[in-house]
Amino acid sequence: MEIEKLSFEDALLKLEAIVKELEDESISLETSIDKFELGVRLSSHCLKKLNEAERKIEELTRTEDGKLITKELKLED
Amino acid sequence: MEHKKIEIFNNSQIADTRIYTVSELNFSVKKDLESNFSNVWVEGEVSNCYFHNKRNIYFDLKDQHSKIKVVMFYENNRKLPYEIEDGQHLLINGYVSVYEKRGEYQIIALDAKPVGKGSLLLAFEQLKAKLENKGYFEPSRKRKIPILPKTIGIITSMGGAVLHDMISVLSRRYENFHLIVRNVNVQGITSSIEVCDAINDLCQYGIDVIIIARGGGSLEDLWAFNTEMIAEKIFNCSIPVISAIGHETDFTISDFVADLRAATPSIAAEVVILNKSEAIEKIKELVRKMQIHVNAKLMIGKKELAFLIKRRIFKKPETIGLALWQEFDSLNSKLKENMKALMDKAGKELAKQFKQINKKYIYDKINLNKLMAGNLYARLLECFKNSLNVKRNKAGLILKDLQKNSPLLTIERGYALVLNEKSNKSIRNIKEVEIGQNIKVILQDGILLSKILSKINKKLGLELQDGN
Repeated sequence: MEIEKLSFEDALLKLEAIVKELEDESISLETSIDKFELGVRLSSHCLKKLNEAERKIEELTRTEDGKLITKELKLED
Repeated sequence: MEHKKIEIFNNSQIADTRIYTVSELNFSVKKDLESNFSNVWVEGEVSNCYFHNKRNIYFDLKDQHSKIKVVMFYENNRKLPYEIEDGQHLLINGYVSVYEKRGEYQIIALDAKPVGKGSLLLAFEQLKAKLENKGYFEPSRKRKIPILPKTIGIITSMGGAVLHDMISVLSRRYENFHLIVRNVNVQGITSSIEVCDAINDLCQYGIDVIIIARGGGSLEDLWAFNTEMIAEKIFNCSIPVISAIGHETDFTISDFVADLRAATPSIAAEVVILNKSEAIEKIKELVRKMQIHVNAKLMIGKKELAFLIKRRIFKKPETIGLALWQEFDSLNSKLKENMKALMDKAGKELAKQFKQINKKYIYDKINLNKLMAGNLYARLLECFKNSLNVKRNKAGLILKDLQKNSPLLTIERGYALVLNEKSNKSIRNIKEVEIGQNIKVILQDGILLSKILSKINKKLGLELQDGN
């Protein structure tokens, strides 16, 4: 599984699934350590995703020749 | 027009009677009716309604005792926001005329208003029922709204407070959002078309979710969001759409077709993206749960190990043999390396990330730092220590296997069997041999005849492996 490519939602879902799997008392210690490691990587990926975007407010318009353009939107407070 | 005068009766009183052709009579009646009933209002229930070529509409208007034919030509009925249907109670305005071809008199309707409710409300109900039948509102066809959209599109009028309100909500929930706004008229005859164009453009530009937003207003004010055109556009849109039109009590067609209806624009801003600090809390909670479960497992391992240690084999370590102790050591150091690397990395990485969030946006400083830097790391180290013991436990199990095997298999692993040269009995301790005595050392591929050079009296024990 390539964690880097997962969306925030998918990573979070997998993390939740891992926590559920760890609840199962019958899995071996080795497996649970592996799962724990995967879980740590997933949570790290989730946090990364949360910080990825940059705050931006833009306006989308069409130019006269029909091109879509965006420009930063200044809003008065 | 010249009228024929024919004497058909002898009665002189009617000798002068004018005789019409059918056409003439119909024409005359028509003229009379049209001038006497040139502007009438009549109220009744619609029945036998049908469209001719989907243009002109014909129906009967009736009350309890009587009925009259009505026709409404396309140029007039196309102006109605709703469709005339059987059973409707309408107030018709028009003039009375005659359909000369059949000699039927009828009302030529110019306008028709539903009695009891407004035309727009009726139109709304009709379109809603139609789209519902087409399956446009089915929950199963609704697209999922992403919980962390990279880019949010908002279609609204930048003139009002709506956008401003939404941005404040977004800033509170998720500081680093990316917004693409498309300014449209949210009222007036071009409004529907503008919103549809905006949806097209946003889809083409590429975003993750669209919010269509407008402040409150009357049914007329919100009419742009009750058109079939908008319904089709939202239905066929490739991106999930949230409709946030008016106040909580306002419902529009776009609300029903959209993948999600938000009662107000501010609520749309609430639901369009997750709350960042809540999300962080959730991840923290999940990490904490993982630790608890892994810890619990390690504790169980520890108990099993304690049980094993009490058994004879661990009480008499000399029976284990050096190779096994070596395996212990190797396992231990390997585990130590792996676990340390893993825990170090995980701990540092998470601590770093939580810290970054901290610096950028000041949320709950104390909790965030405490979690990864202190608490988690300490517990991870604890995990490591415990798991070390469990690996020992595993080695104990290997030993049990060893015992089951024949001595020859043991020899193959690199052990030697030492025998008395003459009696061929195995030598178990140094007291059984004398210096200078010959002994046989049996290895996997042969026998070494050896002589005892000296005896060192050392009690074998756990210390022995320290030297190796």
